[in-house]
Amino acid sequence: MSTEAGTGVKRREFLKILGATGATTAVVGCSSEKVGKLIPYVASPDNTVPGVSQYYATTCRECAAACGVLAEVRDGRPIKLEGNPEHPMNRGAICATGLSAVQGLYNPDRYRSPMVREGNALKPTTWDKALELLAQKIGEAKSKGQAGNVVFVNQHESGTFPGFLDQWLSANGMPNHLSVDSTAPVATIAANQKAYGAAWPQLDFGAAKLVVSFGADFLDGWGHSVPQQLDWADARAKITDAPRLVYVGARRSLTGLNADQWIPAKPGSEMALCAALTGAGTAQAASDASGVAVGTIEALAKAIADAGNGVMAICGVTGSDAVECATMVADINKKAGSVGTTIKPASGHAGYAGLASYADLAAAVKAMDAGSVPLAFLRGANPAHTMPKSAGFAAAFAKVGFKVAFTAVPDETSQLADLILPDNHWLESWGDAAGANGQLGLQQPTLEPVFDTRATSDVLIALAKKDQALAAKYNVADYRSWYISKFPGGGSAFTTALTKAQVSSGPLVPTSGRTLAATAMPAAAGNGDFFVHVFPSPTLGDGAGANKPWLQELPDPVSKIAWQSWVEVHPSTAKKLGIKEGTQLTIETAAGKVTAPAYIYMGVRPDTVAIALGQGHTAYGRFAQNIGVNAYDLVPAGWDAAGGLAIGNLKAKVTVGTDNSPLVTTEGSARQHGRGIGQAMPIGVLLGTEQENDEHHHEIPGLPSQDFKKGLQSPVAADAQGEFANPKSKDTGMYDPEHSSKMESRRWAMTIDLARCTGCSACVTACYSENNIPTVGAPYQGRALSPTNWDERPGANIIKGREMAWIRLERYYEGNDNTENEFSPDFDTRFVPMMCQHCGNAPCEPVCPVYATYHSPDGLNVQVYNRCVGTRYCSNNCPYKVRYFNWFGYGEPERRQYAWPEPMHWSLNPDVTVRGKGVMEKCTFCVQRIREAEHRAKAEGREVNADEFTTACAQACPSRAIIFGDAADENWTVSKLAYDRRAYHVFEELNAYTAVVYLKKVNYPAPASPAKA
Amino acid sequence: MASVAHPVREGIRGPNIASADVQLPAVRDYEQVDRDIIATLGFTKKWFIGLALAIVAMLCGASAWIYQIYWGLGQAGYEPPVMWGNYIITFVFWVGIGHAGTLISAILYLFRAGFRTSIYRAAEAMTVFAVMTAGLFPIIHIGRPWKFFWLIPYPNWRLLWPNFKSPLVWDVFAISTYLTISTTFLFIGLIPDFAVLRDKETNPTRKRIYSILSLGWRNSDREWRHFAKAYLFLAAFSTPLVLSVHSVVSFDFAMGLTPGWHASIFPPYFVAGAIFSGFAMVWTITIPMRKWFRLEHYITLNHLDATAKVVLFTSMVVGCAYLIEFFIAWYSSVRPEQEFFWNRVFGQWWWAAWIMLLCNMALPMSLWSQKLRRNPTWLFVLSLFINLGMWFERFVIVVPSLSHEFEPWQWGGYTPSWIDMAFLVGSFGWFFMWFLLFVKQMPVMAIMELKEIVTPRFKNTHGHGGHH
Amino acid sequence: MQGVLGVFHHLDSTVSAIEELKKKKLGDVTVYSPTIRHELDDAIAGPNSVVRRYTLIGGLLGVSFGYWIAIWSSDYWPLVTGGKAIASWIPYTIIGFEVMVLVGCLATVAGMFINSRIPRLTTTVGYDDRFSAGHFGVFIECDANKASQAEDLLRHAGAEEVRREA
Repeated sequence: MSTEAGTGVKRREFLKILGATGATTAVVGCSSEKVGKLIPYVASPDNTVPGVSQYYATTCRECAAACGVLAEVRDGRPIKLEGNPEHPMNRGAICATGLSAVQGLYNPDRYRSPMVREGNALKPTTWDKALELLAQKIGEAKSKGQAGNVVFVNQHESGTFPGFLDQWLSANGMPNHLSVDSTAPVATIAANQKAYGAAWPQLDFGAAKLVVSFGADFLDGWGHSVPQQLDWADARAKITDAPRLVYVGARRSLTGLNADQWIPAKPGSEMALCAALTGAGTAQAASDASGVAVGTIEALAKAIADAGNGVMAICGVTGSDAVECATMVADINKKAGSVGTTIKPASGHAGYAGLASYADLAAAVKAMDAGSVPLAFLRGANPAHTMPKSAGFAAAFAKVGFKVAFTAVPDETSQLADLILPDNHWLESWGDAAGANGQLGLQQPTLEPVFDTRATSDVLIALAKKDQALAAKYNVADYRSWYISKFPGGGSAFTTALTKAQVSSGPLVPTSGRTLAATAMPAAAGNGDFFVHVFPSPTLGDGAGANKPWLQELPDPVSKIAWQSWVEVHPSTAKKLGIKEGTQLTIETAAGKVTAPAYIYMGVRPDTVAIALGQGHTAYGRFAQNIGVNAYDLVPAGWDAAGGLAIGNLKAKVTVGTDNSPLVTTEGSARQHGRGIGQAMPIGVLLGTEQENDEHHHEIPGLPSQDFKKGLQSPVAADAQGEFANPKSKDTGMYDPEHSSKMESRRWAMTIDLARCTGCSACVTACYSENNIPTVGAPYQGRALSPTNWDERPGANIIKGREMAWIRLERYYEGNDNTENEFSPDFDTRFVPMMCQHCGNAPCEPVCPVYATYHSPDGLNVQVYNRCVGTRYCSNNCPYKVRYFNWFGYGEPERRQYAWPEPMHWSLNPDVTVRGKGVMEKCTFCVQRIREAEHRAKAEGREVNADEFTTACAQACPSRAIIFGDAADENWTVSKLAYDRRAYHVFEELNAYTAVVYLKKVNYPAPASPAKA
Repeated sequence: MASVAHPVREGIRGPNIASADVQLPAVRDYEQVDRDIIATLGFTKKWFIGLALAIVAMLCGASAWIYQIYWGLGQAGYEPPVMWGNYIITFVFWVGIGHAGTLISAILYLFRAGFRTSIYRAAEAMTVFAVMTAGLFPIIHIGRPWKFFWLIPYPNWRLLWPNFKSPLVWDVFAISTYLTISTTFLFIGLIPDFAVLRDKETNPTRKRIYSILSLGWRNSDREWRHFAKAYLFLAAFSTPLVLSVHSVVSFDFAMGLTPGWHASIFPPYFVAGAIFSGFAMVWTITIPMRKWFRLEHYITLNHLDATAKVVLFTSMVVGCAYLIEFFIAWYSSVRPEQEFFWNRVFGQWWWAAWIMLLCNMALPMSLWSQKLRRNPTWLFVLSLFINLGMWFERFVIVVPSLSHEFEPWQWGGYTPSWIDMAFLVGSFGWFFMWFLLFVKQMPVMAIMELKEIVTPRFKNTHGHGGHH
Repeated sequence: MQGVLGVFHHLDSTVSAIEELKKKKLGDVTVYSPTIRHELDDAIAGPNSVVRRYTLIGGLLGVSFGYWIAIWSSDYWPLVTGGKAIASWIPYTIIGFEVMVLVGCLATVAGMFINSRIPRLTTTVGYDDRFSAGHFGVFIECDANKASQAEDLLRHAGAEEVRREA
């Protein structure tokens, strides 16, 4: 990371930058349809150097975790988000959703100005007019004495703003706002509060011996995925005494695939299992309910007993009995005495404070339906999409007197509003968020608003000023000055704190704590011979991520499907019902029905079908509209004892359709056919208790030794690596070991630890962000099916295999070969990040007729875009298939396939070329970062320090699986890891002598296997 | 004097062979040869219609190209990892066809195979036009066609040169050399015939054109002497050239480590295939020609019979190569190879593979029957099947190999798009446009060589037997 | 140049005429024939063609240029590809070979043109359109006093037509 990173920006300078950037970005912003400015300002603020990045520390608001992030700002515009390495929670890591925030910021479909409803259409208006109108409406509501019935629904956020908001509301005589988050595990939170007295205790995987997860997908977005994943991966990296994971649930999620054992319990039977485990019930009863063998249950009970206070039982059940279930799961911990060791209420997370439940929202909707609501405010939350149809939100909302949306993007809900006062993106606004351990994450703007938008907090102050009664109370210029006035130590303290974007404090204004309690209202279970398991998408959540092409393009970590909804069916069920991949299936519950193509997945119970939330938007912009189906349509409006929407344990009828639509998948074959791409090693081998059987080793006569040479150099004469070069060869110039660049002495290399990798795919999005990789799946990016008719299926290019991901996450299955005929939960999954291997003897190089790809002295396989003529021979000759071709002019604004519609192109990284039509591209090992570091070192008159910088994928990786560096210099971590006992090259028999070394996954025996018990 | 025999002279003497299969019993004297061949020239309605069709087809390819250059190669059916498709397939297809001509005019010339005489001119022209067609496809195929000249070594201020280790650069050299040489060869053979046309022509403009083309040829003994020598050396050079060109084309595949490509058998296998497909195309062209131009007594059944034997032989060579590939895949014990070959024949590409095996291995076996060898209709039908089969052979080599490589995660498929089809049609249009233009302007048979095998007039016939 | 031209209808009479003329040494004889006939070659017994030398030289130039351009340009700007030698002479053999064939063939054609004096603008004296069709011709380059002798000889040999060219 650059040396400017996180350095304190003096308040004066900081404002200068904002002022200066603002002056012109505002212009650009207002008229961004018309002009794209080359640089946002002519006179650069005195502490900025054009072309050199500045890093502003702020706090990510994409989920409740509130990780610390650094916004890389280049010439006044944020171009990338990186984890803040000094932040205690995410320690420099960042997830795909967080990375994609810049695409929310530069989203071309954002409201570009306030809008007011005229007839059926929303028409742009000015802020003055809009505020005037709103002030008047508020006045009416007050004068009519209906202020008490006003509803304010806010997308859940922690920190000071909720308190500020409630103050404003009460000052206006309005009730507190509803802070809703449709994917928040309210049941678990409620149970936690009861059991541990903390909404979200810290989960210490390091202290755990055995983790039992009842549908708690702590790697797919349940809770706070980045910190959880960091702890989990570090704990697993202890290899020998790593925590073992048992996953209980009807569907094997990403977390489930990382588990050592999957116990496929019937949906809704988790209670019975817990009962058996806590002794409240018999194993037999549990077995009858869950369909899990008695032996397994007993074995699990024993394993839990053995683990002692190293047990960590967590619950993410979403049925109507969720709270009771979560409470019982907590009992397991209590019984084992692991509260305080693995479950740490003391150092919990405050992110869920003030969370309202679905039941609360439903009540508000009821009030709207009764017509008693004169005025409703919505900010961020999108109930029209995230509430079941049967809740009848749209109809109820229509009955509200005047509907105001502060939402920044035209989503299903804001489309229904009368007045739209678009909020700033969090990268454009001041604020804070409550994080872990009583920390308060500070949030600062990184550029002037892209469009003519205003922070809601400022709007509220402006409104207050229009009201004589309140004007005195809000005698401040804007939210920032209000905030500083409340900030302990005032402005100077604030500015200092900003550099770390962290203070040990609670929210500056208390939020009226809300206890998640309601009376459970189970919905009609419905009938049908299938269970349907509805789950939030790990990439799109409840759909909030759907308007960001990076997240749409990122294949689901489990199904590897992008730009589409799919229904997961077990192979044996598929065989029985004659379902093929892509067969249209109609799922019908009591609440409604959806139709989506089938994805045949051995990780789901044969009596269960699974479908993800997140798609099926009817509004929400060009990247989200008309893609897939909204799985909320299947969910009846019922809730658990905490008021959380019950989306689990539904019954459904499944109708097999006749037509078939291709899956938008990046998966070729899910099996590695014994080719040893993702290799694994039983823990026994590492412990010396077991003989190693190299599962893929082919003995090929005449194969040279595969022992790794020093610095991963290839033993072949005349390799670019001079040390082994043929002494007689005329290698001169930069290949000369004596050359001034000293490049010859380096060998850039990478190790990827499959024991750490969880398959979360953050690295993929990080690569998209760093390297300007175009997304190709949008419905308008397809090819012509005839001179007049274009292929407008979402992901059409991906169906054609034309995705551009320089790094992809391969997900291979091992075992379960007879899965079409019998259901077995025991199969192994290998997640393999695969990118250019930068081979010492690269097969792609000699076949290029124009030297567009060649080998640099420091071991990189270089791709020269503007020399490439596009014969694509290199790709044919690449055994790893990691080269990607620009089939269309993705970088040409005048082409319909343009990947960065204005102003999205503002997020492009100026250090990396946007590749032209007809050229080949591939992973460069972030060569721009390598050269930047080298130049910086040179400028500072020193050598490049070991581990001084790293590639984008390694930097983002929340499980620290990827390590990059110079393998020829033993000071770098990579040069040690490369000789680990688990190290191997993929396809080593091809003698490519790759620079990427994989460390074998470590397989552990199933903790609860009856045999062992 | 007549007994003075010089070995080299023997060599020079050209194919004055008297084996029964090359006799032209129906041709009486030199003048008749002139009459019959010149009769084939001059325009007809049918010809204009044919030319129009060809040009329309050519234009459909041309417009497809403009469209593709504007939008990008994505309009074609490419489906990574299948990065090569219809264009490379069609390129190899046409290069292959381009092999018969030079084979017939050079190799058979050295072998004194007399049956070449009446077909070699048409075959040579076919070669030139086929190579002209093939040459377009590598350019159509690349992502930035406007930069194709970067593959050619030319001095430039950037001091950049092509990578001579790349098989694609070898292609550039092989194909351009082959085009130059076969064009020269065709022209050299045409010079004496232009002289004939020049002397027969009455229309002054055409006479002028022919006299320019004939370079003032006057049939003098000096000219004939050097002509014969030059022709011999051109033949001697062209022979290894023919073999090298398709070997080099096969290197495009054999040099890759893709399963199904990485095989040392490729050069001979490709050359045999090329000759096979080339002769098929010769049939496709000459059999209708001999009918419409009434040249049955020049291209006799004996000639067809002889070519049929070549086709039968090459068919067996190719078939043998197919089988050896499977043996090697099994013998190598390299798993990706084995799985690939299984997939080729019984997996996702079975249909393509079986079309290939049927057309190239099974059907030609019919030529064991002399009846069919001497049946022009059957030979014509068969030639169409062989052309189809050879296109699919290249399909089977290019597509299944790429779609089923080392990395299972990246296995895929391939479906050509309408653009691909437009180019395929266009290539035939382009080829036949040139050929049709050729047949009506220039003699489709080598008058001078026909005269070699026609008995000249003798005053006292007992003195000379006519032929040696 | 002047001389006598005899137009023959029969091959054997042409041959005997040529043999007679060579005995008499009346002057340089040029024989025209629609195609190549051994009988004529034997009778004329001309010197061996020198075209082969052009071929040899052309071929040698070609092969050396081919190797040179490949090796020089690789070494001029060394770029390592796939761990292969900067100048890998084995694959460069293909370049050498192709350029050899190219230059060799073109040299051969040049040799043929130069030696048979083509292209030429006119067919000049002593040519008759029939020679490209079915007739044979014998032209003796000689002055007027030898001409009548030549004419008799040609007529005697069986020439269809004998005429003086000037």
